[in-house]
Amino acid sequence: MLLALASLFNISQVQSGEIPTSAHREWWAFKAVKNPAIPAPRDRAHWVRTPVDRFVLLEMEKSRATPLPPARPEALLRRLYFDLTGLPPTPTEVREFLVKPTALAFSNTVERLLASPRYGERWGRHWMDVVRYADTAGDNADYPVPEAFRYRDYLIQAFNQDKPYDQFIREQLAGDLMAKDGPPERYAESIVATGFLALSRRYATAPFELMHLTLEDTVETTGRAFLGLGLKCARCHDHKFDPVTTQDYYGLYGFFASTRFPYAGSEEFQSKNLPRSGFIPLLPPSQAARPLEQNRQRLEVLRSELIQLEKRVSEGKTNVGAKAAIETQLINLRTELKRRERSGALPDLPVAYAVCDDKPVNQAVQRQGDPSQPGEVVPRCVPSFLSGSRSIQIPEGASGRRELADWIASPENPLTARVLVNRLWHHHFGRGLVPTPSDFGLRSEAPSHPELLDYLAARFTHEDWSIKSMHRLILNSAVWQQASPEEGRSSSEVSRRLFVGFDRRRLDAESIRDALMSVAGSLDLSPPPGPHPFPPVEDWHWTQHNPFKAVYDSNHRSVYLMRQRLQRHPYLALFDAPDANQPTDARTSATVPQQALYFMNNPFVHEQAMRLADRLLDKPGSDTARLQEAYLMMYARHPLRAEERQAEDYLKRYATQAKREGVSAEAASRRAWNSYARVLLTANEFVYLD
Amino acid sequence: MLSSSITAASRRRFLRQAVGGMASLALTSSALRLAASLGQAQVLAPRASHFPPKARQLLFVFLTGGFSHVDTFDPKPRLREMHGKPLPALGLRPDENKPQPLLGSPFDFKPCGQSGLVISDLFPQLREKADDLCIIRSLHTDIVEHFQATLAMHTGSSTVPMPSIGAWLSHGLGTLNANLPSYVVLAEHLPYAGSQVFDASFLPPHHQGVRVIPGDDPIPNLRPAAEPSSLADLEARMLLDLNGQHARRRKGDLALGGRMSSFDTARGMMREAPAVFDLSKESTSTLEAYGVGSGDRTSFGWQCLTARRLLERGVRVVELIDTGSQDNWDSHGDMQAHRPKALRVDRALAALTTDLKQRGLLEDTVVAICTEFGRTPWTDASNGKGRNHFAKAFSSLLLGAGVRGGTVHGETDEFGASIVRHPAHVHDYHATLLHLMGLDHTRLTYRYGGRDFRLTDVAGTVIREILT
Repeated sequence: MLLALASLFNISQVQSGEIPTSAHREWWAFKAVKNPAIPAPRDRAHWVRTPVDRFVLLEMEKSRATPLPPARPEALLRRLYFDLTGLPPTPTEVREFLVKPTALAFSNTVERLLASPRYGERWGRHWMDVVRYADTAGDNADYPVPEAFRYRDYLIQAFNQDKPYDQFIREQLAGDLMAKDGPPERYAESIVATGFLALSRRYATAPFELMHLTLEDTVETTGRAFLGLGLKCARCHDHKFDPVTTQDYYGLYGFFASTRFPYAGSEEFQSKNLPRSGFIPLLPPSQAARPLEQNRQRLEVLRSELIQLEKRVSEGKTNVGAKAAIETQLINLRTELKRRERSGALPDLPVAYAVCDDKPVNQAVQRQGDPSQPGEVVPRCVPSFLSGSRSIQIPEGASGRRELADWIASPENPLTARVLVNRLWHHHFGRGLVPTPSDFGLRSEAPSHPELLDYLAARFTHEDWSIKSMHRLILNSAVWQQASPEEGRSSSEVSRRLFVGFDRRRLDAESIRDALMSVAGSLDLSPPPGPHPFPPVEDWHWTQHNPFKAVYDSNHRSVYLMRQRLQRHPYLALFDAPDANQPTDARTSATVPQQALYFMNNPFVHEQAMRLADRLLDKPGSDTARLQEAYLMMYARHPLRAEERQAEDYLKRYATQAKREGVSAEAASRRAWNSYARVLLTANEFVYLD
Repeated sequence: MLSSSITAASRRRFLRQAVGGMASLALTSSALRLAASLGQAQVLAPRASHFPPKARQLLFVFLTGGFSHVDTFDPKPRLREMHGKPLPALGLRPDENKPQPLLGSPFDFKPCGQSGLVISDLFPQLREKADDLCIIRSLHTDIVEHFQATLAMHTGSSTVPMPSIGAWLSHGLGTLNANLPSYVVLAEHLPYAGSQVFDASFLPPHHQGVRVIPGDDPIPNLRPAAEPSSLADLEARMLLDLNGQHARRRKGDLALGGRMSSFDTARGMMREAPAVFDLSKESTSTLEAYGVGSGDRTSFGWQCLTARRLLERGVRVVELIDTGSQDNWDSHGDMQAHRPKALRVDRALAALTTDLKQRGLLEDTVVAICTEFGRTPWTDASNGKGRNHFAKAFSSLLLGAGVRGGTVHGETDEFGASIVRHPAHVHDYHATLLHLMGLDHTRLTYRYGGRDFRLTDVAGTVIREILT
């Protein structure tokens, strides 16, 4: 009995998560980054290409594993293109590389792709996953945010320009505060960057209803994105597994409670006529004053003109002939008035879905996460278990976001650089050194290569937080350039953890669509398309009974597709694009039969295959030459002789059968090519990357 | 897998074989064969329940907008007596704190069956099934908004989207028919919170509810391109050849074979799913019973009959959503607006009950008929005829496998304003449904973001009183 009670007691202790404080003090991720010596593995010195390889090799040696041979040049090139740009190489690019596939040619290609605008479209999207990017607000009626695209484009640009990551962090958390005393040419982008905060999910029907949940999303996304820490459990109770306390949580919460968020509309926009508000002009106040004043005057003019005209009509003072003209004039006046009153944006003054400082407040603890049960007030602060002695000083009258950003974007912060380099590693290899890129907490698996992680983190901050220099280091390594497991060498969990071989992967949703359109010649790569074709604000009327719901077609890359928070895009959702309600660090890549149905029967796939067939048939030359072109386009390799024969045979048999089914001779050949194009686009070789 | 003409007996035999009889929880050889036929979609392979289940399949009927408990399944004669008199209400919203006039139900109630369950005239046909029904009169939920309450009834969470109950069951038990999705949602219009209500969220996406839109194109991309089958066969063969060559050079990569077999499953769906939606082989009397007219593909009767056909073919969870986020049971202006909504579902639900019972399906299926929340016993409508949302008490139904029919669980006060006996939270309702399916709601977990998640969060108690 006594024993039973005692063990019961133990269980309840574990369940309440009372981890001794020493455990988290000793937790590797909360200790300072060391700059470890680069190891010298005993054998295989010739295999090593960059310092990264030495760390990886050492672990392999410890486990008596050996690296796989280098990937075939064709596979390597295709891997590199999809990795850096999310698109396949063109036949010309493949041919050129295959002439002389040296290490130099490879690293030159790395440079060329890093300099391509396609790079930011690919890697900006990875960050959009983390910051749960969406083009709608997430309230019950899911109001569109036409300005959200500016933040999307900011992210793409930031990656293309190799913006130092510490600056990238500061701009997203406190760009509005930096804009004030920064260079004028950076004003707009600094404002736009705070879209990171503005995008926090909205709830329910009134403006800022359930704001504590919106701010929970802000705190959680900030913690996950930059620090690799889940914080939201601490909203209701001290974190069970991590040292985050309710004090820490509301200390952080206070920064954002001292911040003014924009209102993009919700049911009460419609039902109570509450206009959008809090959008931030992209011009400094001195320059914005004039258009703001002009807008005020214009509103006055519109209102008085409308009153006068309505009066004239009601008094019957208009002559019959002018009736139609007056009707038009009335409609025009009302439309313009409605647009100006509702939008919170002005025709001459572009605005961003962004934030600014509000009256600074310290937040009271919400007992059990319930804002109607306030507890003790917590001064704004950074988590005590991380800050050590370096607590931050918040100037009088400021929210403290700038100081928070500085604290996160510091080389002294043990998590920031580690988390980012691990994200890069995760995207390059399909698995992080820490397998949970947004969770470095006490329940996460320890890093497979702790010294390598620290080496990368130290080097990253040392090289001015340059993400592109990390790409160079990793992509030029021998470990990244290994072959995928082939004949008889299945990849196990152990070999994956050691990075033996390159893990074959399915292309993600965006890459599949972009690659399909790219080989079909239907992808539009002209500069970003700007805002989505939302209806004009004067026509908005959404409620939870009739929420905003749209899918907009586009020939641009998938990163530019409109994404809603509450309705998932039918294509993107089918191929595991993330749910925009929460930060996503690693996508799933499930195989479900509905995807096969999509490939077999969706008109979009059929159309791309037809365009591809047309492209091939338009080329002069023999069928064999066309087949070679097709293989280069789609698989970045030359077909084997047997594959050529197989294809030629298929085209013949298909055309013959088509004629038997009553298709004309000329059409039969085209039909055969259409079918063959569908097969190539549907095949595993197209959607998997070696 | 299953032929399209299925007798009740052969189907039951199949189900018992597929998931193991009551005596044994181990998976039988036919279940293992099914697992093998799923190829790499192993996440859908049949899994043993935690304990012998009462039900193997769930039919979840969701009536959107919040039907009024005091006008349907929870009779309150005192409301009529006190009609127009104020009751100082204590509600969840500030506007419920001012005294509002009580509103007697405009509908009459009658006892029915041997059990004498009292149900209103809104459901005259379902009422005839009284002895099969278990009415829970003491449900309550957390947030009195459509969106949040709809999410809660489906996912247990009223704020952050979580996996749907259908996805949890698919995850916990797997599928019974590889040619059809394990969780099918029949919904002409989306309810509040949209597709989030049947989403897999962080569970593997195989468990996501596949929405069937009543009409001509029920499942996206199911219809083959207009191509002669001889050509389609050639093309399929060529794809198989290319994938085979590709995979042979990459032995040991299970994902490649998984994708290849997903095309077989997809073809299985293309073969089998259209038959599910083709009601032409149903007898005239069946169609009449459900109220399905000729050419009808969108009535609730069509949905109910299709639901039976899906259950017959081994779909683990079938959900019916009667209306969307517009024009539903949300009768703020006048309770008479409940009439057409009830008329739309009453006959079909009664016919479905009869049909499931006759075919023996009710022995393996539990049916849950539920809604978002209840409605206020008083009125705040200017004309004094409608009711507002009410979260503190509402009613829902259960019937079928494992459920004690002809019973009432829980009790509200004389006005239906507060629960006086056996309160049951939405988490309890979910815990009970999982229990009936042989799953312990505290053990059905999924590790995500460093934490084990459950449908019932950290709450939920099985309502044992209603179990057989």
